[in-house]
Amino acid sequence: MTDQIVIAPILVALTTAVLTLLTRFDGRVEKAVSVGGAVAYAVAAAALANAVLLAPGGPATLTYGVSNWQAPFGIVLVADALSTFMIVLAAPIVVAAAVYSVVSVDEAGQRLSYHPLYHFMMLGVSGAFLTGDVFNLFVWFEVMLMSSYVLVLFYSGREHTRAALGYVVLNLLASALMLVAIGGLYATTGTLNMADMARRLADPAAYGVALAPTLGLGALLLAVFALKAGLVPFHFWVPSAYRAAPAPVTAMLAGVVKKVGVYAVIRLFFTVFGGATYATTSTFAYVGPVLVVLAAASILLGGVGAVGREDVDGLLAFSSIGQVGFIVLPLGAAMIAPDAATRLAGGETTLAAVGVAAALVYSLTHAIAKPLLFLASGTIRSALGSTAFSQLGGLARRTPLLAGAYLIGGLALVGVPPVLGFFGKLLVFRTVTEGLAVGVTSAGAMAAVMLVGAVLTIAYVTRGWNAVFWGPPSERVRTLIPERWGRSRYAGDAPDATGGADTVSPDGGPSTVTDRALVVQVAVIVALALSLVALGVGADAVVDGATDAAHAAIDTGSYVDAVGPAEPGTDYHPAGDGGGESDETHSLAAAWLGGGDP
Amino acid sequence: MTAQVVLAATLGLLFALGTFLVLRRDVVRVVWGVSIISQAANVYLITMGGLSGGAPVGSFGESALPTDPLVQALVLTAIVIGFGTTALALVLTYRVYEEHGTIDTHALADADRTAADGGAVAAATTGTDSPAMETHDDTTTGGDEQ
Repeated sequence: MTDQIVIAPILVALTTAVLTLLTRFDGRVEKAVSVGGAVAYAVAAAALANAVLLAPGGPATLTYGVSNWQAPFGIVLVADALSTFMIVLAAPIVVAAAVYSVVSVDEAGQRLSYHPLYHFMMLGVSGAFLTGDVFNLFVWFEVMLMSSYVLVLFYSGREHTRAALGYVVLNLLASALMLVAIGGLYATTGTLNMADMARRLADPAAYGVALAPTLGLGALLLAVFALKAGLVPFHFWVPSAYRAAPAPVTAMLAGVVKKVGVYAVIRLFFTVFGGATYATTSTFAYVGPVLVVLAAASILLGGVGAVGREDVDGLLAFSSIGQVGFIVLPLGAAMIAPDAATRLAGGETTLAAVGVAAALVYSLTHAIAKPLLFLASGTIRSALGSTAFSQLGGLARRTPLLAGAYLIGGLALVGVPPVLGFFGKLLVFRTVTEGLAVGVTSAGAMAAVMLVGAVLTIAYVTRGWNAVFWGPPSERVRTLIPERWGRSRYAGDAPDATGGADTVSPDGGPSTVTDRALVVQVAVIVALALSLVALGVGADAVVDGATDAAHAAIDTGSYVDAVGPAEPGTDYHPAGDGGGESDETHSLAAAWLGGGDP
Repeated sequence: MTAQVVLAATLGLLFALGTFLVLRRDVVRVVWGVSIISQAANVYLITMGGLSGGAPVGSFGESALPTDPLVQALVLTAIVIGFGTTALALVLTYRVYEEHGTIDTHALADADRTAADGGAVAAATTGTDSPAMETHDDTTTGGDEQ
């Protein structure tokens, strides 16, 4: 059973990356290819969503066997509702950041390497979302990280090299750990296919799997994914890397790349490890409390850190740590009482589904709001050369559109209706209160932490808004932007009016932003803000999609059925290696070879 | 059995050495440490496949079943990835040295702190801010590419 559509996002990203490499001779062509590729990616994502989420008779699970190898032997790509939700979440940010890149990243950098790296990063992200194989997940992580290393290092100045050093070393260590965990999982379960692994973990006796080691190996994986998601105590790289990267790359890192860590936690721990039972308790009983503690620490540290920052970029980076805490907390809370009955989107369901759905809706909010804010910060930096609060103020009078969009992004983080952020926060709180209702004793503490986190969010959003946009214009703003942005554009429709940079740098200093670039940048930011409001108004569809994705994530049985990994040909035991050498390795390849042997 | 014990001991030694080097102040040693740890992970992967059988390739006619070849394929992939990342890390170390004149992590952290305290404000007030800096950086990057 192979559906070609599953591999479409991966192929589009790969093709675009190669084409941008081939068209480097002409900057204009390369930019057109890059933006066109991003749009094609969004189309592929929409087609995938149409095939999976909107399939007749409920969400489908489509698989694609690479080179048509059967499930456990070859790599298989799986597009279920969860994977598709994540791809759809990524697509608009890919387009927005690609358009923004074209007008904001400096020309020499764009000619050198920017666009291929950008699309190779998306290739890694798409692969990580779609793969159904644990080692393949590692490979896609590396594809994604390798590109992101270079993109963080992109300007390779003093602070960029320093930030990239920490980012690279931490992630290389995490990659080694992930490899160790995957090797251990292969040795204990005898497979790398996620569906096959889930099946073997759920019924260890039938497959001769020693279950105990997988708990520790799962903990290693959890640490790796927490590093990718930037959870406390693995958050050290976040502020410096986000400050060092170009604004659209930061938007991608915060909006999309971070979500890969969240996705991996959901996929591995709900779908794969979910069925395993260790000495009468499930995986959830061990992992849930750990996730809750990490998330609570992230919410508090991110919130306090963000309140204390003196510049927009730092504030947003710490806010990002706190917001990921809000995404992961419902996952942990749901794990503590996964089977408790509750209701969501008009249907009976379990707390696990509500928790995952809450995390997904919040992820979507954060995936749009945080790129919006980082892009706005990038525009402010390119126009004014600084994002320090001491240098800014009164921008609302100069650029009401940008100010309005930033406000909507901020309100999404706070969670004010009708912005989508409200529904994210509502579901996250709902998970915890439902947990409290079914007798999870720690849910009260979780709710308290989340309330404190929400208040801190209000505090730093308000503080940032007041310092940047409110009040009288600062000295720097008065000098660099003497009148409203875009007034010259409105004043004359003459062709030469669009090319001039004089509105931004009257003192003749080098400015990185032209009038036309500014219009495009603000348009991208406003479009993101409008999509936040539109999704908030149409939140029913979002919650439905997230609910489908959550059910796909926790329903291990139908995931295994859809992928349909073949049973080993025979129940193979290494017989011919006489004399106590039997190491009980139920290696799949060996079983396969043994099974084929008459 | 002896092969397993020897490999287990080697693995422990490699991980210990790698961890020791990662905790050094010298960035080059940190990169060596990371590199050793990722190689140790590769050796670990090979060990996890079991060492009981014959060679998976070219052992025709032997009676014993071959050792699991899948882990060896995985390790080949991991080695290629490790090669790329190590090269990047070493180039990055060189860039850090070019930019800062030091590869001592403590000195780098001090520079970080001063930049966080006064650097942003100083840069903002004197006007030597990011747009100008980016131009400068691109010229140096371009030079390195040659």
